[in-house]
Amino acid sequence: MHARVKCEGCHTDITEIPHKPAKKVDCLVECHIVEPSSEKKFSHKDVETFLATSVHGRLDNEGKEKKYVEDYPNCKNCHDNPLYRPLSFFKKVRPGISEASLGRCRVCHKKEEFVFQFYNHVTTRLHKSRNPLNIAEMCGRCHDDPALVARHELSTKAVFSYGETFHGKAASFLDERVPDCLDCHVNKGESVHQMISHKDPKASTHDNNRGKICATIDCHPSASAKFASYGVHAEFSLVQSPAQYFFTVFFIILTGCTLLPLMGIIFLDIVRRFFPHAEMGRRK
Amino acid sequence: MEKQPMIKIQDGNKYFYRLTLNQRIQHVVLAITVVFLVLTGMPLKFHDASWAPYLYSLFGGIKYAPIVHKINGAILMGLFFYHIGYLIYVIRKFHIEPKRQKGELKKYDSLKIVLTQCLVPNLKDAFDIRDLLKYLLFFTNKRPDGDNFTWKEKFDYWAPFWGMVIIGLSGLILWNKELFTQILPGGVLNFLLIAHSDEALLAALFLFIWHWYNVHFSTSVFPMGTVFITGYLSEELMVEEHYQYYVEVMKKAGLENEILPPHGGPAHESHEGGHSS
Repeated sequence: MHARVKCEGCHTDITEIPHKPAKKVDCLVECHIVEPSSEKKFSHKDVETFLATSVHGRLDNEGKEKKYVEDYPNCKNCHDNPLYRPLSFFKKVRPGISEASLGRCRVCHKKEEFVFQFYNHVTTRLHKSRNPLNIAEMCGRCHDDPALVARHELSTKAVFSYGETFHGKAASFLDERVPDCLDCHVNKGESVHQMISHKDPKASTHDNNRGKICATIDCHPSASAKFASYGVHAEFSLVQSPAQYFFTVFFIILTGCTLLPLMGIIFLDIVRRFFPHAEMGRRK
Repeated sequence: MEKQPMIKIQDGNKYFYRLTLNQRIQHVVLAITVVFLVLTGMPLKFHDASWAPYLYSLFGGIKYAPIVHKINGAILMGLFFYHIGYLIYVIRKFHIEPKRQKGELKKYDSLKIVLTQCLVPNLKDAFDIRDLLKYLLFFTNKRPDGDNFTWKEKFDYWAPFWGMVIIGLSGLILWNKELFTQILPGGVLNFLLIAHSDEALLAALFLFIWHWYNVHFSTSVFPMGTVFITGYLSEELMVEEHYQYYVEVMKKAGLENEILPPHGGPAHESHEGGHSS
């Protein structure tokens, strides 16, 4: 995706070729590409601001480093290469750039470099480049880590509990229509880097706002605010969801108490059929 | 409805009428929809299992399997309400009305009729279970003398009956969750989901282990009992499972002389005889 940026656009410490060992790339550097509407040099600096003020920021409100600051993500924790995979699900044949769709671009766009650039860069942003399962797995790298969940006193292994809902199950069957983490945890129209804690009244997941998220036009448009009190991240856990825990235990006991005696009778019946006349106390 | 003979004799063997055509059709609809519901429901419950995606794809995967599930659920729910109507019709027409016409219907008689229907559990079932355990644990060679419908069949009837209420109602609400949560809080859906899938697992295991053992896999019926298709049960199985009712029917048909001894009886009796002589 960075094909038009020259090497030294990112590797600012490289001045000659062959170069000496270079420093790691800083994603926030101003590169030589010009943003067309403002004609300013392009940079990801805004993303840094978004991220810093989000729930994933490294500093708290007072500017102090948060506890376990090393757990907080940097760009490359989430933006690994698969995120920039182009429309690989085009006709779902194989991953990578689809020649079939490139053919359509070439009808009008004669410059091969432009086609490639446009396809890679723009279309991946117009369409979801990853299916909900991919997104969930990406978040789960941290949010399903039991040690991290415990350290940060999070209420759930988020992707695990998402996987127990219909949305998560459908995602695991590669449904691309169901919501993933980002669809609910970010206000519509905002950058995903602006994710904030559900305790913040501005958060899409705050109790007062959740109804709006569910009732989005593409999801459950007729849903009431009550609908959103569904426990999306309920786990089979005495601590996190005691009522659901006991309700499930009730069904486990009911199943055991129904089936075990009946299976006992089946077992005895099979044994009895081998010895139809073997009544006790009768020695013939 | 054409009146079927209680005992049909074919190639010298007696067959006993058990299920009307209407009941057999109800059973087949129930059986087919339940199998489809289980096949399209369990892959979602056990989505992590290795077999789940393959089984799910057979029904069109996540895009279509839920539709197959809902269609079958709707048919089954229709059957449930049809069955309730059928019960009311049959009990009124064949049990309450004849008495009323004779002017014999007293207060509470209707209730009494309902409670003494052949599929309502009674004290005899408890004794039959005790006697069955005696038989299974080798205390006796004699099986309990079953009535028209034994406790096993009553269990087979009431377990899905209860299951259909729980699973059907929760399924209907989960299906129309936006509508029902205009009144109910969304948190209820969590519990309905647990009830729906856990009760369904119980029902599926119950049917595929217990019911199928009794009607398919037990050595008396293997490879398959045919009463659910033909409506008639062989004399051998009548004697084994429904001896009390068998004797009743045989006497009614004037065949007292042809009544077979109870199951487990012949060896038992002849030995007794041999011992005393």
